[in-house]
Order: sequence, then C-alpha cells, then structure tokens
Amino acid sequence: MNDMRLAERTVDTDAKAIKFQCRDVQVWYGDKHAIKDVDVDILDKTVTAFIGPSGCGKSTFLRCLNRMNDTIPIARVEGRMLLDGEDIYDRRVDPVQLRASVGMVFQKPNPFPKSIYDNVAYGPRIHGLARNKAELDEVVEKALRGAALWDEVKDRLSETGTGLSGGQQQRLCIARAVATSPEVLLMDEPCSALDPIATAQVEELIDELRSQFSVVIVTHSMQQAARVSQKTAFFHLGNLVEYGATDDIFTRPQDPRTESYISGRIG
Amino acid sequence: MPPFWIMISVLALAACAYVLGRARAIRSVDGNTRRLHSRPGYYAWNAALFTAVPALMLLLVWTLAQPLAVNQVVRGHLPADVMADAESRSLVLADVQRTARGLTAAVARGVLSAGEAAALGADDAPAMDRLAEADIEIAKTPEVLAAARDYRRINSAAGRVLTGLALILALGGMAFALMRTTPQFRARNVVEQVVRGLLILCSLIAIATTVGIVLSLVFESIHFFRLYPWQDFFFGTEWTPSFGGGSKLGMLPLLWGTLYISLIALLVAVPIGLFAAIYMSEYATPRVRTWVKPVIEVLAGIPTIVYGLFALVTVGPLIRDWIAIPTGLGSSNSSVMTAGIVMGIMLIPFVSSLSDDIINAVPQSLRDGSLGLGSTPSETIRNVVLPAALPGIVGAILLAASRAIGETMIVVLGAGAMAKISPNPFEAMTTITVKIVGQLTGDNDFASPETLVAFALGLTLFVITLGLNVFALYIVRKYREQYE
Repeated sequence: MNDMRLAERTVDTDAKAIKFQCRDVQVWYGDKHAIKDVDVDILDKTVTAFIGPSGCGKSTFLRCLNRMNDTIPIARVEGRMLLDGEDIYDRRVDPVQLRASVGMVFQKPNPFPKSIYDNVAYGPRIHGLARNKAELDEVVEKALRGAALWDEVKDRLSETGTGLSGGQQQRLCIARAVATSPEVLLMDEPCSALDPIATAQVEELIDELRSQFSVVIVTHSMQQAARVSQKTAFFHLGNLVEYGATDDIFTRPQDPRTESYISGRIG
Repeated sequence: MPPFWIMISVLALAACAYVLGRARAIRSVDGNTRRLHSRPGYYAWNAALFTAVPALMLLLVWTLAQPLAVNQVVRGHLPADVMADAESRSLVLADVQRTARGLTAAVARGVLSAGEAAALGADDAPAMDRLAEADIEIAKTPEVLAAARDYRRINSAAGRVLTGLALILALGGMAFALMRTTPQFRARNVVEQVVRGLLILCSLIAIATTVGIVLSLVFESIHFFRLYPWQDFFFGTEWTPSFGGGSKLGMLPLLWGTLYISLIALLVAVPIGLFAAIYMSEYATPRVRTWVKPVIEVLAGIPTIVYGLFALVTVGPLIRDWIAIPTGLGSSNSSVMTAGIVMGIMLIPFVSSLSDDIINAVPQSLRDGSLGLGSTPSETIRNVVLPAALPGIVGAILLAASRAIGETMIVVLGAGAMAKISPNPFEAMTTITVKIVGQLTGDNDFASPETLVAFALGLTLFVITLGLNVFALYIVRKYREQYE
C-alpha cells in the first residue's frame, strides 16, 4: 500500500500557494524551550506531515497554528506565523475566529455527549453558517459525506455520538471540523487510538480532504506520513531538522538525523 | 477485677504475645527469616490477635449479658404483683441497683464492714443509722434489701468468674498461637483473614445502626398510627397539638413550610453556587482558585446555629424593615424568606464545591474539541461543559436539597414556629424538623400521640430525603457514562 501510494503520487507541490508562512518560531513552556527557530511554509491543498520522536515538539508546533496553546497558561509563543499573509499572533486577531478557519482534530476521538447530528451541527450553529433548518441539514449531510460517515449513520443521526465505534467517532470529529468549512485542518495523531481498518479509512479520507483545503497531520507512524502526505517535516528536540517533499525525505534524506530516524536508529 | 482492668491486662498479655511470637518465629529458623512463610511481623500479630480477640469478645458479651442475667435472678426476691407491671418493675429494679451501689460505697468508705454489708437486714437498726449518718441512701424494705444483697453477691461472683475466664482465654490463645508458630505456618493468611473479618464487622456495625434507627422509627410510628388516624396525619391541614387531648396533628402545614423554605434556599444557593463553580473551574487562574475555593468552603464549616443567629439578628429585621413592612406583606421578624435566604447561603459551598469538582472532571479533550472548532470559552461552557456535567450538578443540587429539608436550627431562629399554609414568604412558618424538636422537649409521655407524632414526622422526613438521595444517585448513574 505504501509503495503504491508513493508511486501514484503525482502532485506538483511547487505550484501550490503558501497557506502558512512561519518564520523564527519559538515556544516556551515555562522555562522549557520547546520549539527553536522553526521556519516552515505550509502549502494550500496539500497534506503536510510532521514526524519525529516523542517530545520533539511537533504537536506543540501544530497547536501554535490555531493558537490552541493560548489555553495553556504557561505556554509562550514568539516569531511570525502568517496565515494568508496575516500574522495570527497579531493583537487584532481573535483566536476564536482563527480557530474557525483553522480547524483541529485531536489524538483521541472527543465527540461531545450530544447526538451525532448536534455534534456536526455544533460549529455551523455557533458560527451561524446556516440560516434555517434545511440549510443546516444540508451542511451536516455534506460534512458527514465528506468524512465518509454518512452511509453508516444516516439512519441514526439522533443517537449519541459517544455510542459510535472508535473509528466512527474519529471520522465524526473530522466531519465536525469539516462542517465549519475551515481553510486548514490540523490533525494531531488522528489515528493513534484507532485499529488498522479505521486507520485506513481515515487516511483515505485525509487524501480526499486535500482537494478542499490544506491538511497538517502530526503522526508517529512514518508509514502513515509516507502514505498520506506530499510534504514532510522532521522535528528533533524542538528543531525543524528537515522539510521537503515526502518522497525526498523518505528516499533521499539530507540530514543524518533524518536518516537515522526513518531507518529506525533514533526515536 | 473491674472490666476495664481486665481489658488492660488482656492487652498487656497481647503485647507480650506480640514480642514472644516474633522472637519465636525468628528463633525457629535460626534468624534466617527468608525461610519463614510470612514475615516475622505477621507471626507477632498472629500471637497478639489470638491472645486479645477471644478474651475481649468474651468480655464484651459478658458485660452486655451480665445485667440481664442478674436482673432475672434478683426478680425471684421481689413480690409478683410489683413485677407484673413494666413500669413499677423498672422502678423497683432501679431501687435494687441503687441500694447495691450504696452498700458498695458504704464498704468503700468504711461505714460497714464487708461482712456486715453482705448480711445487712432491714431490722439492723444501728447499721441503718450509720448509713443514714454517712448520707448513703438504701432501700428499707426487706425484699429490696435482700434483692440488693443478692445482686451484689452475684455480681462480685460473676466478676471473679469473668476475670478468671478472660485471663485463661487470653493465656490459652497465646499458647495456641505460639505453638503454631513454625516456619511452615501461614501466619500472613491468618492475620489477613482476621483483619478482613474486622473490616466486615465495622461495616456491619454501620448497617446495623441504620437498620436499628429505621426500625425504631417504624415501630414508634406504627404505635402512633394506632392512636391517631393516618388520613388525618397525612392529609390534615391543621397542626394544633395539645397534651390535654383533642390535638389536631395534620402534617401538611409542616410539609408546606419545609418545602417552601427549601425551595427558597435552593433558589439562592443553586445560581450562586453554580456560577461560583463555573468561575472557579473555568476562568479563575490557579492562584485565585487556591484562595477562593477554601474560603468558600469555610462557609460549610460554620455551625448552623451561627447561621441561625445571623438570621435572627441581621437578616430577619432587615427583611422586615426594608421589604415586608413597606410592601405591607407582613410584620414578623421571622419569616420563610429569612430562613430560606440564610439557608441558601449555608448551601452555597455544597453546590459550588461539588459542582466545581464535577466540572473539573469533564475531560479537557471536550473543551479542546469545542475551542478547536472556533467557539468561545463561554459557548464551550454553555454547550459542552455544562451539558456533560449536568448529571453531576443535578446530583449536587439534590444533595443540597436533602440538607435543606433536614435543617433545623436556621428554621427555628429564622422562620419561627407557626404551623401555617400560606403563599406569603414574609410570614412565619415552620418545618417538620422544628416540630419534632418541639414535640420531644420537656416531659414526655411516650404513650400519647402528641409525643409519638415526632416519630411519624421523623419517618416522613427520612422517606423524603431518602427518596431524594436515591433519585440523585439514579440521575448520576444514568447519565454518567456519556462522556467517559
């Protein structure tokens, strides 16, 4: 599966617009310098994978992209992060609005203790994306179809979302994020709590989402990064060691640390 | 030996057994404790437990059973007509005990010799005079005196037998345990079984006490309902007890007062407590939280009588002068409103502290999920956190409600003692608990419905609060799994 995907990938990443432009990003947790001098450009309509050993800062960096680190009192972020040319850490930017356009899917499926319908309708409702019930129904159906979940749940939309299986829950969370029509979707190890079949479904979904918006995924699995991403960034001890096309990172790594990691010697 | 000293001796023996058991266990393997089945401490505890437990159990059973047995024997001396009636019987038996104590005191103070006390008859005038001089009261009737002599004789004999038996049992237990102290003996298993028995015993005591209390309530209530029709109690709207007879003991005014005051208390406590909890768990910085939470919890530590004083001296006059009199709704110092507000203040920490814990237990991942979709913190709290925490919050509120229903002191001082059904919150009313106190203070005749009604009221209250607690548990259980 791995090799097949690599072979058929014919994405010309150079032609895509830059969605996120990050320069000289530093993050501290209290006294701990968690992210050091990270420069990275995340392209539109591309899947970008962040890989690296545990504690290397890849999740921290991901959480900077929609200012989720604001909810942690001791976290401090420096540097420039431009979303479509606008600094997201600018004083005038409301993190709430930012998060509406930069959605996030978490490691553990976290559906709200509400019905499946209400879970998906949550974002559209708070952002007023639908004017009436019919429109909302449409948005929900579209999001669930987008998350490849519609056929499985269309007859039980009023049942609670926590009653679904792990893989279905995670796809529900993706549908929930998709329903707010974000420009970028961040995924923090979205498959780490799922079995292989559910993982395959979610990966397929990620590949489809690429046509609509930019996807950034943090993963522990190098096979997963190779399967779903076009660009890969390797983090080590808070530094961005290497960033480039996924094929190049996995076949012709420039940095010895990257080579050690992908060949399993460190991490 | 008095039971207290027997107990001390048995415990001293157990301490010896502890030391001996340990030493013997270590000696049996020549100091190489790894060859023992259990660690030496378990052999020591085994010896100590075998010494103390049987002897102490004997002591306990004996001291409980002895008075009953002695009374049975002493009865033989007393005339049958006295013993026929339960009340006079208990009076005479008390007299016998008092006389026996008097004789013992006389011997102790040297007024009588031991022999004289053992043979004292009602016709022994000089001895009687000396006793009167020493200000020792004893009964003068020959039957009671004879009974008292017997009472002393049997008691002292029983005491000697008990001392002997307890010490023999303790020594026997120690010998048995020491004999069994061999490297193969599974001392740990034995000790653990004994400890488990102890734990079971403790929980049984709690259960037995509850059952006992409920049963006594039930029996006395049955008693009451034999004397007073239950329809009039449960559906009567008038509460006018009079010990002369012709009382009307309708429960409804008291139930109305109880529920009305509790309702006002909850209307005060729930919003304030819940909002305080939301602030503490969602908005307060850790530093503020470490200060505010204990300070709010101090409210829970204030004795309710102090709240009562607060109601009586401060809140009552304030409400009367500023609200009740200007609006013409009442002129009473004590009112349902006063008691309700003060009780509400008392309940704030219950609601806030429990709700705070429950809100904190909502997984952070749900908050992240909601914030990650671009909702504001307040939207997150309203749409995700509170619904997830709702069952627990309902449980906290019901718990506060059962506190409110059972509260007495604040009501006595804040709401008065008038049993009345009225919708006006500025009038004095009263609750079930206050009337229970009222019916049981002073001289009680436990055969009259005016006294026994207290038990029926207590049972009603118990059923109400039990129902609330069960309902709270049901709600919490039913909805708890939703976010786990």
